[in-house]
Amino acid sequence: MGKIKKKGVAGNARNFITRTQAVRKLQISLPDFRRLCIFKGIYPREPRNKKKANKGSTAPVTFYYTKDIQYLLHEPVLQKFREHKTFSKKLSKALGRGDFSDAKRLEELHKPRIKLDHIIKERYPAFTDAIRDLDDALSTVFLFANLPSNRDIPPKTIETCARLANEFQHYIIRKHALKKSFLSIKGIYYQATIQGQDVLWLVPYKFAQSVPRDVDFRIMLTFLDFYTTLLGFVMFRLYTLEGLVYPPKFDKKMDEMGAGLRAFSLESKKVGELENGANGEVVVRKDVSKQLETLGEKIREIEEKGEEQEDTSVVPATEEGEKVNEGLDRFTAIPSKDGATTDILEQPTEDLGGEGKTSNMFSEWTVYLSRETPREPLEFLLRSFGCKRIGWDAVLGEGSFTRDDRDPSITLQIVDRPPQVGLPPMPAGSEAQEVNAGRGKVMGRLYAQPQYIWDCVNAGRVLRPDSYAQGAELPPHLSPWVKANDAEYDPTAPVEDDGESEEEEEEEEEDVQMLENGEKNGVEAEDSEEEEWGGMNTELAGEGKEDSEEEEEEEEEEGGVALHESDAESADDEELEQLQHQRELEAEAKGVTYKDEKKSKKSDAKKKLDKEKKQREDEVERQKMMMTKKKRKLYERMEYGNKKKQDEKERLEGKRRKIEREKKKGKN
Amino acid sequence: MSTKAATRKRSRAEVEAEKPVLSSEDEFEIPEINGDEDSSDDSDFTAGDEDSDEEEEFSSGAEEEDEDEEIDSDEIPSEDETSPKENDVANGDASDDEETEPADNVKVVTGADGNPRYIYPEIEPVYDSDDTDAEETNTIGNIPLEYYENYPHIGYDINGKRIMRPAAGKALDTLLDSIELPKGWTGLVDKNSGAALNLSEEELEIVKKLQRSEITDDGFDPYPDMVEWFSSKVEQMPLSSAPEPKRRFVPSKHEQKRIMKIVRGIREGRILPHRPQAEASQEPEFYDIWADDAPPKPDHVMNIPAPKLPPPTHDESYNPPPEYLPNEKEKKEWEEQDPEDRDKNYLPRTHKALRLVPGFNGFIGERFERCLDLYLAPRVRRNKLNIDPASLLPKLPSPDDLKPFPTTCATIYRGHEGRVRSVSADPTGVWVATGGDDGTIRVWEILTGRQVWKLKVSSDEAVDSVTWRPTPEGRILAAACGNEILLVVPPIFDFEEENQGKEILSAGYGYAANRQGKKEAPGTWSKPDAGLEEEGVVVTITVRKTVKYIAWHRRGDYLVTVSPEDVRKAVCIHRVSTHLSQTPFKEKSVTKGIAQRVQFHPSKPLLFVATKRYIKIYDLAKAELSKTLKPGARWISSIDIHPQGDNLIVGSYDKRLLWHDLDLSTKPYRTLRYHDKGIRAVSFHRGGFPLFCSSSDDGTVQVFHGRIYSDLMENALIVPLKVLKGHKITSHLGVLDVDWHPKQPWLFSAGADGTARLWN
Repeated sequence: MGKIKKKGVAGNARNFITRTQAVRKLQISLPDFRRLCIFKGIYPREPRNKKKANKGSTAPVTFYYTKDIQYLLHEPVLQKFREHKTFSKKLSKALGRGDFSDAKRLEELHKPRIKLDHIIKERYPAFTDAIRDLDDALSTVFLFANLPSNRDIPPKTIETCARLANEFQHYIIRKHALKKSFLSIKGIYYQATIQGQDVLWLVPYKFAQSVPRDVDFRIMLTFLDFYTTLLGFVMFRLYTLEGLVYPPKFDKKMDEMGAGLRAFSLESKKVGELENGANGEVVVRKDVSKQLETLGEKIREIEEKGEEQEDTSVVPATEEGEKVNEGLDRFTAIPSKDGATTDILEQPTEDLGGEGKTSNMFSEWTVYLSRETPREPLEFLLRSFGCKRIGWDAVLGEGSFTRDDRDPSITLQIVDRPPQVGLPPMPAGSEAQEVNAGRGKVMGRLYAQPQYIWDCVNAGRVLRPDSYAQGAELPPHLSPWVKANDAEYDPTAPVEDDGESEEEEEEEEEDVQMLENGEKNGVEAEDSEEEEWGGMNTELAGEGKEDSEEEEEEEEEEGGVALHESDAESADDEELEQLQHQRELEAEAKGVTYKDEKKSKKSDAKKKLDKEKKQREDEVERQKMMMTKKKRKLYERMEYGNKKKQDEKERLEGKRRKIEREKKKGKN
Repeated sequence: MSTKAATRKRSRAEVEAEKPVLSSEDEFEIPEINGDEDSSDDSDFTAGDEDSDEEEEFSSGAEEEDEDEEIDSDEIPSEDETSPKENDVANGDASDDEETEPADNVKVVTGADGNPRYIYPEIEPVYDSDDTDAEETNTIGNIPLEYYENYPHIGYDINGKRIMRPAAGKALDTLLDSIELPKGWTGLVDKNSGAALNLSEEELEIVKKLQRSEITDDGFDPYPDMVEWFSSKVEQMPLSSAPEPKRRFVPSKHEQKRIMKIVRGIREGRILPHRPQAEASQEPEFYDIWADDAPPKPDHVMNIPAPKLPPPTHDESYNPPPEYLPNEKEKKEWEEQDPEDRDKNYLPRTHKALRLVPGFNGFIGERFERCLDLYLAPRVRRNKLNIDPASLLPKLPSPDDLKPFPTTCATIYRGHEGRVRSVSADPTGVWVATGGDDGTIRVWEILTGRQVWKLKVSSDEAVDSVTWRPTPEGRILAAACGNEILLVVPPIFDFEEENQGKEILSAGYGYAANRQGKKEAPGTWSKPDAGLEEEGVVVTITVRKTVKYIAWHRRGDYLVTVSPEDVRKAVCIHRVSTHLSQTPFKEKSVTKGIAQRVQFHPSKPLLFVATKRYIKIYDLAKAELSKTLKPGARWISSIDIHPQGDNLIVGSYDKRLLWHDLDLSTKPYRTLRYHDKGIRAVSFHRGGFPLFCSSSDDGTVQVFHGRIYSDLMENALIVPLKVLKGHKITSHLGVLDVDWHPKQPWLFSAGADGTARLWN
């Protein structure tokens, strides 16, 4: 016999610790514990057996994994929290004494600053781990970048977020990493692939956000602290891998003028700098900073020039810096003179066919954004897919390729307003347009609504712009992440609009009013009866009719008796069967007069179908009888889920049919 | 003269001066005692006695007077003080003048040597005399006084004159003294005077006070009222006139030292006065934290990464396909729902152009919710089965493969009034016998449903059980009615068959006669009365209580009956060939509950007895209990044994049908719960078809396929086949008994609605 196991020393009882216990063990306050959990990514668990984990009590409590808490005991951040506690005591003492200079000194010199570097390394030992977890970080950072600062949110935080967001966008643009984007009612979703990991984030539209009352910004800011640190390290790594200097140069003046992405200029690391890095760091840094100062000016000069000239590339040189070196070199085996064969190694080839083409989809275009279009997302999207020349109205901010909407080099203009009626199209660059500037269409360019760009991106190719013309009714914008499969409704697939289904629907619609059609009544009655009976007996009903013809008379008698009896529920199935049969006969007799051949055939087929369905259901029911309870429950759950999906699909299909029919009617 | 001496003197004077005060206080409290002594206060107190109305006034007046006196007494020493001073001055003058010329009061006489000799006047030993030792007048020193006993004097004074012994009393006086001790007597003799040393009144008082551990000083108040020197009230004058200490205005040297230490540190550069904050920011804010290219985190069971948010669907689009837009009803439904119950936090909307898209209201809220989920929501690993649910369904043989089995009602046997209790098919498969509540036994032709024979056994008691003898020769029907068991040969067969049956039954009459009188048998075998005999009844067995069930042994010689009401002899075995009845078990050994059913094993000498909860298997050859099955049912209603003998089905009133494999365990192999009401009867087909059925009070008979494989390792296959509905439920009773046709897959059922039915 085995040793008797003691309770509460192993398993669930040992693995889990309640929150109160954890807080007590760490000797910190609850808010501090929460902050620590957010930083360390510690989350509550659901023990398999709550009763065992909670020492026999079933009270609702939060459990943590004991080892998580154990690790927290040695956390440097925990030490910082304690330091902060003593510091805040000192500070409040100084303030209470009115010793403001001392308080200021304390605040400046002795405030403990929490560093999260080690936590980031601990939570994400490998770089790919960090990238996999970027979704929430990016969404939060993009949200805060678009928020106004208030009492809860210091302006510096917002500045940092905006900077990080822009840096990230720059990286995406440079790597052509953007894959999909979607205009939702919540905001704009983007998906990029970084180092083989898909990252999906959501950017709100540029509107003032309404702040709900129940939002605790302290929690949000704690998350944001972590996310900004994480993004900072990720950006550093990404930029470094790209051979770029991080942080990129930021032109404050440009930013104030609303240049957005253009306020940043990427610069590649120079070989000289790398070499000098070891001995004369300080010197080099100074030089570089000087260089940078001048560089910015130079770039601006170039840009200004670019604006004056028409067709020169105005993109900062840094952006295209390494294009030459980026690709792989081709190794060709040199045959030896004596003719001996050499081994030829497999060489990775860049997939320039599909991928490269897609990522430079818009490279040939010069795009002009009208002033009613959202500039930031469009600029980001266009640039991610290779477009270099994007101009926009002066209202939309600085950094435009051209501000002249009559620029003849423009090939596509994005417009989001209905066309002006009654204005003749104008030739590009003509004098006449000066008179009624910016009102009529300019010839020689395409006009499309913003959705065109998104649909092109999601389709992976340049679509025909016809249906996206100015003022045209747009085709529906679909989510690129929904994969068409059998179980779900696919809006792109044509829906079979056969007459039967239509009828069915009509029936559904009109089921309230009673039809006098006898045949129909018969069918309905049959349906309802069958439903009532269910199970195995339907089969019986069919066979019984044939077999027991002898007893029919007797049964009839019996049936009559049964009907008169008060206990109608327990009526014989034969009797019911008989009744039904009779009703059918009556209906037939009535219906013959007007029912046509086709319809009866259809109803026959339908009956047959129904019967088959019933049989199938019977069979399943019989099989379910033989399943264990556990399996049966599992099966029923799965069936429930599938049925829900199916119902949703049918609902949508039905709606679509209806809409299409209405459309047809409208046309006729 | 020193000030010290002066103060001491003064204090002494005070003590002396207070005396009158004390006495006056005493007077105030007990005027009767001391009133005569002090004449000065006398007048006051007499007045006080006379006028009691003005006592208070007077008392205060007396106090005032006391105060006056006190003041007076205070003044006394000061006056005294001056006088000794004067004296002192005089003395001092005298001493000063000693060398030059003697003072006036000094007598100069010529001494024996002829030199002048100064004789000073006697010093008056007054209180304030400076000479404290002067009290000791006897100068004999430390010599016991007894030495002078024989002399008239007791010593010498300071001037060398004898101190004469005080006159001693007569012997009588001493005797009297010794009898009545005077107040203050100590028994000591004053050394100086030679008289008895007695303590004075005051001294006694002091001794008393010391004994009571009180403070000896009169008028000393141990608890005086506190004077609050340091109060909020600003005084005009300082409490202390001590000058401001120096340390208050001279810089501290110690501090100076400490400051200098810091200054030196700063000068040497050890201490930085304002540590530049840049120190921390000097190191770069971000660096390549993943430079070491560590391997990714290994997956651990307890590490559950947060699930990513699902990507948006079509209906979230700003311009979705029209079918995704909610109609009025859906919109209303969504709006009426509690925000927490909604499965999506948005309603699909469509916008004609991108510029018309408004901001999303719940954006921050959604992000916040996500944050909360990340750190507050408990995470669990859930395995999601991504399989076709159809694969979970067991593979069952199709009912077509399992045919034949009864599906429809072929014949209804009508005739019984009241319930049909029991049904049994003849081993040849031509007749079926039923017994009912109307006390009749009826035999029907199976195919036509014609009633061929009927016997009214009793008018008030029901026929609870009818059973054909299982052997083909000799058609004998056993029926139980009340406490009687009738063995009948129905007159429906040809003469030979009928005779055969009668012979078998009547063969035992002789035996019964032989055994008579030996012991009281549980059953009495007797010939039926003439009326019944004519109808075909050959033998009746009478037992003590109502018989509920009869079962035949396969050879047809034995039959076993159960009468559950008879607790002691519930189970009886009757032998046809010898007309003997016996109870196989010793009293009470069989039933710890009420016996419900009994069955013989189809091939072995085993007897199955079903009690309320258990099924006990007795080995009849060894006469012992071989096994107890525990089906786990609350109340077993019926059992049946598979013709091969290794399996058993049990029906119970708690709706369960239990399949026992006797080789496996005492627990059921399968538990089937398909009936809505309690099961009344269960039955195996004995003619080679793998079928069994159960009948229930819900008015249905359920037919199952139960195949047993010859391979012992393979479990029995049980497949539900058919639910036969037809019997009506009458007063909560449905189908009371079922029996299979011996050869065909046909089923007979007896219902509470007064019919028996054939299903094929």
